[in-house]
Amino acid sequence: MTYSKRRGITAWLFLAPYVISFCCFIVVPIVVAMVLSTMQYDLTARDKIQFIGTKNFTDAWGDQYFWMALKGTLHYTVLMVPGLLVAALGMSLGLNALTRGRNTVRALLYLPGMFNVAVTAILWQWFYNNEFGLFNFVLKKLGLSAIPFLSEKGYAMPSIVVMSLWWSLGGTAVVLLAALQQIPRQIFEAAALDGATNGRLLTRITLPQLRPVLLFVVVTNTIGGFQVFAQILMLTNGGPELATRGVVQYIYEQAFNNYRLGYGAAMSWMLFALIAAFGLLQFRIMRRSVA
Amino acid sequence: MNAKWSIALLFGFCAVLGLLRTDGSLLQIGGKKPVELNFWNGFTGPDGRVMLGMIRDFNEKNPDIHVSMQRMAWATYYNKLMVAAVDDRGPQLFVIHASTLPRMQRAGFLSDLSEMYQGPSRVPTEDFEPYVLQQVKFDGKYLAIPLDIHPQGMYVNTDILKNAGIVDDQGNARPPATREEFLKVISTTKKLGPDNSTNWGFSFTNWQNNFQTLLPQFDGKYVDENGKAALDCPGNIAALKFMAELSKKKLIPPPQTQMGWIGFRQKKVAIAWEGVYMLGDLKSIPDLKYVGCPIPTIGNHEGTMADSHTLCIRKGIPDREREAAKRFIAYLSQHSIDWANAGQVPARRSLRETDAFKKMPVQVAFAKQIPHMMYPPRTPVLFELGLEVGLAVEKVIRGRTTPEEALHIANINTQRVMDRDKAEQASRKVTQ
Repeated sequence: MTYSKRRGITAWLFLAPYVISFCCFIVVPIVVAMVLSTMQYDLTARDKIQFIGTKNFTDAWGDQYFWMALKGTLHYTVLMVPGLLVAALGMSLGLNALTRGRNTVRALLYLPGMFNVAVTAILWQWFYNNEFGLFNFVLKKLGLSAIPFLSEKGYAMPSIVVMSLWWSLGGTAVVLLAALQQIPRQIFEAAALDGATNGRLLTRITLPQLRPVLLFVVVTNTIGGFQVFAQILMLTNGGPELATRGVVQYIYEQAFNNYRLGYGAAMSWMLFALIAAFGLLQFRIMRRSVA
Repeated sequence: MNAKWSIALLFGFCAVLGLLRTDGSLLQIGGKKPVELNFWNGFTGPDGRVMLGMIRDFNEKNPDIHVSMQRMAWATYYNKLMVAAVDDRGPQLFVIHASTLPRMQRAGFLSDLSEMYQGPSRVPTEDFEPYVLQQVKFDGKYLAIPLDIHPQGMYVNTDILKNAGIVDDQGNARPPATREEFLKVISTTKKLGPDNSTNWGFSFTNWQNNFQTLLPQFDGKYVDENGKAALDCPGNIAALKFMAELSKKKLIPPPQTQMGWIGFRQKKVAIAWEGVYMLGDLKSIPDLKYVGCPIPTIGNHEGTMADSHTLCIRKGIPDREREAAKRFIAYLSQHSIDWANAGQVPARRSLRETDAFKKMPVQVAFAKQIPHMMYPPRTPVLFELGLEVGLAVEKVIRGRTTPEEALHIANINTQRVMDRDKAEQASRKVTQ
């Protein structure tokens, strides 16, 4: 056997575990979901599965709860992504400016992200409890009135976003900090010698240099925002009045509570199309500005 | 010692450990291996410990059978059970709420247990309420054995009532039994607490369940005689109007406070309506003085919502396992007085007449409602129907809409779901 053949086989052997798991857990489910989305597939009536073409898609299009859930998802994403971007950027700039104890602070900031989302949600459920929660206890001690964090439509989604920020901020800040540290110091020093203010250093040097990383952060977090599920399920279960129910929760309910797998698969594809469209759009806009 | 010997030694050690497994199944050379039964349920609270004790007793008394219990939260239990059972991979034995049986029955994995109600060692049908038995009967076949009945009832903090002077001739707290008494008690016991927080006379717990609790009292219903959705019937509207009135008159905590059951546990609420299964939770609070009573007659007559845990066997399991599973179910049914300790009312009348049961005051009080109870509707689209009911109740209690409008919208949406389901089932029959 020639060297290049041996090398090829070795490469494939190294790749095999990932390729096999990718095929089993990504490719096959995608294909199955595609087929399912064209079927009337009810788990309680599996003896006769029918091909119904695009009916599941047209049904979802006319389903008021699907649109409500989509609105909930967009609400979350619109609050979460810019919030995360601004907070993580501020935090990374602060960390970058630290001369002592940077690693300790960084580790502490990263700590919440190491909790499981279920643990985080249970913890924050108690923080947010209207009568017996930590936040309202503090507010009452300060002579302020309690805030219905999770039980009033206007507060519920922002409260979920705050919890998500606390949970995911550290990870994003660390990514941005790493990018910040890659910017050559000489550029800042040259600009400072030319009389640039801190504001101009930020807008003219730091942010333009960070653009590729910001693009990555925005795109990945937008995708994550569209897929939000666990924190909403655990904190509000989609309430009050379904105001925080997102698309993924609705898909889950249709597929596994109502056992309508075909319908759930169709909505998954619609969500995928939406995420892909948003992702591409963001990518194009930001890549143009990077170029 | 070289590497080969080390590996051989490690292998030998693992093999010995494998033989010494706790069930000792591999060591039973010559002896007959006990039948292994997997029993799934959602008893994740204190009730789970009681069930575990019953299983332990059964395993000791029946060495030829070994039952293992798997508990998971009800919220995800049915998803897992359904996915596993329809693929013939699920447990041999499981618990299903009577209200969920129609969905599971349609999935086709429930075994016909009619034979358990026949023969000399049968579970006697006359020992159950006909209404309860009706819940487990489909097309003339019994698909489950009811283990218990869990009606909604009223928990009353006796200290709060005594402090408010609501007592009988013996000086004991006197829980309300009528609409007037109820309104009077909850207005009297509502007052400012020591830390400037309000102590409430009453609080809704699970809004949807509280609404469904009132339905039978107002002759409410979910579907009419023709099988059409009837959520906006006059009885349902009257029940929801009563709830809205409590909210409007500020006789309950503001909806956003999430007081509910926690408030009762924390002694900030005098009265709460909940299921008998919450008794286990209250038992863990030693200084809370409470009694259990039937729901007061708010509507035209007595009534409450109830459901049952029923015991089922998966279809298609080997005969040996099926016979063992039947023995286990019969045992649980016969010993369901032990189960009552977990905060349940036994489904069997004979057990409710025992002295042991009469020593359980809360269960006895809740059991008085059995003749007037109403189970959730028998429909495979229960989840979607429940969602509509819950949403309507929530909107009304929050003051966003009127009971008439909320229930009308819920009814339209529910009918749409029922029509869709009917059409899908019809098309299924055509293709069959």
